[in-house]
Amino acid sequence: MATESQVLEAIRTIARTELEMERAIAPEDDLLRDLALDSLGLTVLAVGLENRFRVKLSEEDATGVQTVADLARHVASRTETVQ
Amino acid sequence: MRPARLQGAREPRARHATLNEALERAAASGRRGLTFVSADETETALGWAEVLARAARVAGALGDLGVRQGERVALVLPTGPDFMDAFFGALLAGAVPVPLYPPVRLGRLDEYHVTTARMLRLSGAVVLLSDGRVGRLLGEAVRRAGPRLGLWNVAALRESDPSPVTRSADPGALALVQFSSGSTVDPKPVALSHRAVLAQTDALRALMPDDTPEDPQLGVSWLPLYHDMGLIGCLLSAVTYPGPLVLLGPEAFLGRPALWLRALSRHRGTMSVAPSFAYAVCARRVKDEEMEGTDLSRWRLALNGAEQVSIDAARRFSDRFSRWGFRPSALTPVYGLAEAALAVTFAPPRAPLRTVPVDPVALAREGRVLPGARTLVSVGIPVPGVSVEIRSESGAVEPEGIVGRIFARGPSVMEEYLGQPEATRAVLDGGWLDTGDLGFVQDGELVVCGRVKDVVVLRGANHAPQEFEDALDGVSGVRTGCAVALGFVPPGGDGEELLLLVETTSGVRPDLVDRIRAAVAERTGVRPHTVQLLAPGTLPRTSSGKLRRSEALRRWATDALHPPARVTAVRLVGEMLRSALALALARARAHPEPET
Repeated sequence: MATESQVLEAIRTIARTELEMERAIAPEDDLLRDLALDSLGLTVLAVGLENRFRVKLSEEDATGVQTVADLARHVASRTETVQ
Repeated sequence: MRPARLQGAREPRARHATLNEALERAAASGRRGLTFVSADETETALGWAEVLARAARVAGALGDLGVRQGERVALVLPTGPDFMDAFFGALLAGAVPVPLYPPVRLGRLDEYHVTTARMLRLSGAVVLLSDGRVGRLLGEAVRRAGPRLGLWNVAALRESDPSPVTRSADPGALALVQFSSGSTVDPKPVALSHRAVLAQTDALRALMPDDTPEDPQLGVSWLPLYHDMGLIGCLLSAVTYPGPLVLLGPEAFLGRPALWLRALSRHRGTMSVAPSFAYAVCARRVKDEEMEGTDLSRWRLALNGAEQVSIDAARRFSDRFSRWGFRPSALTPVYGLAEAALAVTFAPPRAPLRTVPVDPVALAREGRVLPGARTLVSVGIPVPGVSVEIRSESGAVEPEGIVGRIFARGPSVMEEYLGQPEATRAVLDGGWLDTGDLGFVQDGELVVCGRVKDVVVLRGANHAPQEFEDALDGVSGVRTGCAVALGFVPPGGDGEELLLLVETTSGVRPDLVDRIRAAVAERTGVRPHTVQLLAPGTLPRTSSGKLRRSEALRRWATDALHPPARVTAVRLVGEMLRSALALALARARAHPEPET
């Protein structure tokens, strides 16, 4: 089970090391508008989170996930239900 | 000067009449078949005999469903056994598989529904095959396109206990439809016959190392199977070879690029292909500890294609992975396009890569190849059976060293864009395919340097510029309809990037560039590399006021984009007084160049 802040930290790590983003990432950042993630970037982020937290994110998870905080909350809630 | 005309080696003799026959022979050969590698590196083997048996059941079920000979069967499936069942099942039913791309996780589903529905309609698909997971997302596209037989789960078809069917096909009949990569605004269904696909795999076979007991050949691929490179270059090459192929899903690679190289090492892979950006991604993201104990020395053909080859990325990859036995001579630039089934040219094996230094200004402005600061990579000579010519706008063959349109002819060129005679006529003439790319011949080899067509190729996917330009509608500070989207290769970059040239209204706020980036990213999923703001009236237009994209790029590349001078008497006098150069400029602007 992971907390939202752990997921947020993981998102920051993936953004820095795998997406090579230089900007600081805030919870209220919009994944598409502020972080400007393209389809490759979204996939890298999704797979990176899956690998770290042993969850499966589906295509439908895009619904309702707009910001970094939304994503962190979503992944954290998933880790509660698995294992 | 010699004419820019290149001829590949003689067309090899056809080994198989149809893909159906090739699969049956592979099944009978006893050769190792497919291995699927998951993200945690567990592996599932699927022999060719098994591929055939499963597909025959799906073929039977498709027949029971009412799929008739020659009808199109669309499939949206991730890399895995289900894909094989659906693809080969369609073929064995005498139908025509049409692989489409699956939705992106965390991506925009509404756009996906629209695009998928469009592709279903354009291909005339009568049924869509998927799996339980992706299938749940396809209802909307199916509702919009309305294929006659609806949406089916391929596993359910396989398990429905049908009688196996293995129909034969006519060599000249349609074998598959693949979409000219990626463009969502105007995707074109490329129709390929069995003969064309097999001519391509035969040509590729002639370029591959021979399989011997001492030197067994094995391919590894993470490329999507809904594009020519993964589908024809990897999967169908393996079926027709026949030989073993190790497959990873594209998502597995993107999530952890080391999986690709580790699979090559573990399986002693000799052949693999990827776009330029994949080599750059590996050089940057793969960690030393992920490579511990690996050995890439068996990797003989590291094909690099689908987008302009970046010499920097290729060098970084070679430098980084030679520690683990990677041979720089394995890196082989290739050039091709969906309309030619796949490959048009292959570079000969060698190290280092052959590069051509060019002056970007002379290249852009005059189409002449003069030594300069930009480095282009040769993509070699035509594959067997293929000819290439460089032609001028008037259709004459250019001499070597002059930039023109790349034309290709050969047995694997498509029959047509399915059901689009006008679009077909625009690119096919007397067997010659207008590739829409610009290039030149130097020292007997082809060098690709740009594009005639207004297409932006980003990481191997084609985008229509309108996708990006339309995303600017409603961004305050942007002059409506006065922006162009272009592809360009930034110096030292890994490949083509998105450039936006945007005319602004007066009273621009300082955050406009950020807002433009955000709007484009939100609407299209692509992050612009460079946004250049321009004064009103700067972009070149046709007499009817339409923007001229390639001319805009030419001017931007040569640093010649300036706002139009206000040609008033006072201003002219002022400029004349300042310098002779200003005079020349003022004249040029008072009398704009004629339209091309």
